[in-house]
Amino acid sequence: MSTTKGSVTVLDPIGLHARPAGQIVKLVKESGLEVRMGMAGQQLAKANSPLRMLALKAKTGQELDVEVDSDDEAVATALIAQIQEFLKG
Amino acid sequence: MLKSGTILTGMGVGLSSIAAEVFRVKRAASLPKAAKHSGDEKREIASLKTAVSAVSAEMNALAEKAGETSAEIFEALILLLEDEELFETASAQIAQGWNASTAYINAVEEYAEIFEGDATFQERLNDIRDLAKRVAASIAGISLGLDIPTTGRFVIVGEDFSPADTAQFTDAVVGVVTIQGGPTSHTAIICRSKSIPAVVSCQQAKDLVDGMQILVDPVGDRVVVDGQKSDITQALSFVAKSLNPIIPVRANIGSLEDAIAASASASEGVGLFRTELLYLSAKSQPTKQDQADSYAEILKAAPAGPIVVRTIDAGSDKPVPFLDMGHEENPALGVRGYRLIENYRDFIVDQLESLEIAREQSGREVWVMAPMIATYSEAVEFATLARKAGKFKVGIMVETPSIVYQISQLADVLDFISVGTNDLSQYLFAADRMNPALGSMLNPWQPALLRALEQIAIVSQEAGISSGVCGESASDPAFAVVLAGMGFQSVSSSRSQVGIVRQALSSVTKQQATEVFQAALTGLDADQSKSAALAALAAISAK
Repeated sequence: MSTTKGSVTVLDPIGLHARPAGQIVKLVKESGLEVRMGMAGQQLAKANSPLRMLALKAKTGQELDVEVDSDDEAVATALIAQIQEFLKG
Repeated sequence: MLKSGTILTGMGVGLSSIAAEVFRVKRAASLPKAAKHSGDEKREIASLKTAVSAVSAEMNALAEKAGETSAEIFEALILLLEDEELFETASAQIAQGWNASTAYINAVEEYAEIFEGDATFQERLNDIRDLAKRVAASIAGISLGLDIPTTGRFVIVGEDFSPADTAQFTDAVVGVVTIQGGPTSHTAIICRSKSIPAVVSCQQAKDLVDGMQILVDPVGDRVVVDGQKSDITQALSFVAKSLNPIIPVRANIGSLEDAIAASASASEGVGLFRTELLYLSAKSQPTKQDQADSYAEILKAAPAGPIVVRTIDAGSDKPVPFLDMGHEENPALGVRGYRLIENYRDFIVDQLESLEIAREQSGREVWVMAPMIATYSEAVEFATLARKAGKFKVGIMVETPSIVYQISQLADVLDFISVGTNDLSQYLFAADRMNPALGSMLNPWQPALLRALEQIAIVSQEAGISSGVCGESASDPAFAVVLAGMGFQSVSSSRSQVGIVRQALSSVTKQQATEVFQAALTGLDADQSKSAALAALAAISAK
């Protein structure tokens, strides 16, 4: 299993709030892949819990690192792009 | 006992009013106290799992009943409820000996500690706590229903209502009053979508009891005990008496889309172009040419008239990815706005030079101003940089109380000033803008703010500096009239408000605007100032 790394930015004017957190977790669960997220340069955590996503307390403009475990790089890249979409508010 | 005619103030939701009988909601039963289990961990975990599924099914059913607007809210709640991390935390509590319901409540509180004090999450926190109560009730086998009447007409009064509560509102609910909760609470959102008149954040509503008659008057941001239809605050209507407003109304923009949309409005130029949005998504500092291209595109699209561009307004609370601003205990009082000059002089100079290229390309009249100027020296430094960079009219934002006292000394330095009322309020009242509990101090009708604004208008005029207001208050048509009455020479409103603000400023003469402002000055608090101004306006439009 290889890992695809990417980064996303919180553009939503109210930060990473409940709705995008829920959308991300739903997407991750549906994909069946292991996805990890966290503040840029810090320890990442599994993106399967909306509460853990909220606990990042990521504000507008915050950059987040994303890692996706998948052998299909195209799928992983598309997933990261979709996460960025959710963070646009 | 509240006397007849007593006025309780809060924040109104909606435009229509209703008079009806009070119904205080009472929770059906109280939850069992925290307790340990008898030793069978497996059974507790199983019973927690069953309860979570039961509440989740309950939420699903409510979501269907509640319809479109709330479906998404419930979906988010169900995800939180079924959070694996939360379940693991609760399981760990069970392992420590707590029974299922206590364990779940404790687990939620562990997360609550992380979110506590963070205004953005406060409302969500209340939702999650409500879910925990429901799980505990399900385990104990008790109902948490609200027991709302199904017939008659009632104004429901309570602390605040969760999404699960509001979904149980029957047709008998014709009005809602909450003691807590703000304009973005679920109660407010649901009442707005269902067109139920509501007043939220009404602390004195705690004294309302069953059987009292009240008038819910959202336009007046109040509840009146024994109020009648005749007490209803009329939404003001402005009849334009001249073609042009007494002072120009400009628009606030932040992007190309905004500029295009603003051109479709009646705005005379742009009174506040927030540039930071262009940089929020950039990973590295854009080149001067890239910046110039973006600016030129926006300047060309902007509505006819001057365009007031504010240089970057960032800080540790509004971070820009490529400027490292670190963490600050008090970001509002820290290195933000023009204060970035210390570490990022090149970036600010680059911004001004890109704007000059864009100004030449577009052939537009560009004014530039710096945010968060607190001293004479900062204003002089910015003016020097800006005049060296291009052919701009040069100004500053007036947001800090300190600069108000030096405007008169800036006569030969500045062409204009623009007041940001939100930040000026925050610093004048020492009240954090992000704290919902302090909302009433940030009300623009506060008499102290009115006087501070008047002083700014007067000293600017004496110094021959053109003055305008671009804060949120300038989007309120009645307040815009007051600002014109003080002597401000332009206002800049959010795009959607340009039309109504223009209409308000076309419905009065300069002299009448001054009378409205003088009336507002008679108030001893924000409510009195606002009522006095609205009464003066109503008298003028009745003529």
